[in-house]
Amino acid sequence: MAKAKQPCKKCVLDSATPGISIDADTGLCQFCEHFTPLTPEKKEEYGSRMDSLLKSPPDKGKFDVIFALSGGVDSSYMLHRIKREYPHLNILAVQFDNGFISDTALENAQKFCALTKSTYMRLSLDQEALQVTFSKAANSFNAYPGAAKYRASDICNTCISIIKQKIIELALTTKAPFIIFAFSPGQTDAPFVTLSKPVLVWMRKLFDRNLKTMGVTDREPYLIDAHLLQPGSYNHEVMMIHPFLIWDYDKIKFKKECIQQGWIDPNLKDQNSSNCLLNAFAIKNHLDKYHIHSYAYDLASLVRQGYMKREDALKKLTLQIPDITDEEIKRKLKL
Amino acid sequence: MEELRNDILDFLKKQGFFNEKTRLQDNDSLSETGVIDSITLLQLIDFLEAKYNIRIPVEMITPENFDTLAGISQSVIKLKNG
Repeated sequence: MAKAKQPCKKCVLDSATPGISIDADTGLCQFCEHFTPLTPEKKEEYGSRMDSLLKSPPDKGKFDVIFALSGGVDSSYMLHRIKREYPHLNILAVQFDNGFISDTALENAQKFCALTKSTYMRLSLDQEALQVTFSKAANSFNAYPGAAKYRASDICNTCISIIKQKIIELALTTKAPFIIFAFSPGQTDAPFVTLSKPVLVWMRKLFDRNLKTMGVTDREPYLIDAHLLQPGSYNHEVMMIHPFLIWDYDKIKFKKECIQQGWIDPNLKDQNSSNCLLNAFAIKNHLDKYHIHSYAYDLASLVRQGYMKREDALKKLTLQIPDITDEEIKRKLKL
Repeated sequence: MEELRNDILDFLKKQGFFNEKTRLQDNDSLSETGVIDSITLLQLIDFLEAKYNIRIPVEMITPENFDTLAGISQSVIKLKNG
């Protein structure tokens, strides 16, 4: 007889979730078991550090910040707030066109760049090759090991890794000292990440291997330009900042404020994305392959940190995933 | 050495994708087995610097030095001994 799945008493993970074990005594998963909340003092320390970095950025290039802008709620809110708090920053906001972003997200991104006087850039790669790559991600199994595999779907991991590589490349070529991502406190634990050259070489190597495992043959377009990582190629340090680990994370408030500033809800009927039409398909693909919702870890972490109620997270994980865009996506991905 | 190894394992249990079923040998790649990703690696660097009061030079952060339990332990001991 199969062993009944045991839920974690605190978050939304359970013993049926791959990689999760529930302690028999405490009833907690290993993440909740070892969780230490961020103290107000530590949060204040991080806030002061971000202030000192962003208030006087080193004057090296045209832009102070390369900002990853999807046009969704989180990144739109963050761009607006960053410019409100640090109006002197010259920001290059980059929207990656993965071929599946909604027209509304494109409009929202451009609107928020105009509003914040940020430079807008739509980053496009060969769309046909990109579709083949996403198709390979959908058909892959275990291309991303452990930590990465359970944090996001194979399709989203591929997309976000391309964005990271290309944004880092932009920061290196434009000599921008900072990169800002609107990752939620469920998606990352590190508010500041210094991207030294050896770390970038390592990151590039890891993603190259993931792509190779998926069967992607032409990988260079998705990776940081190798010439930039040669010895002596550049000598400035790039830092990645995740402000949502410093500010309070309240998605309902963010959405309200965004709408007040003219942000339009694309109404994608996908509870987990307000910008990407591929997201719901990616969740389903991940569920089919690994029997885990690709937002489970993200939502569990938000619950653990007190940013979301357990019932709300469970509701999100059990909602029927819309399949209205399935046919179009399957056609585009030639599945 | 054993204490250092246990400290690293404790960190990985807390931050990495490591549970009671994970079997990790000293020379297994932490990134290839999926125990860490690039972000967890940087957190591990911060943790080791604070715990052992050392400064890890960026040139040292390579897979040879920081992708296995053995490599990390040896690197930390080397830095501690100056």
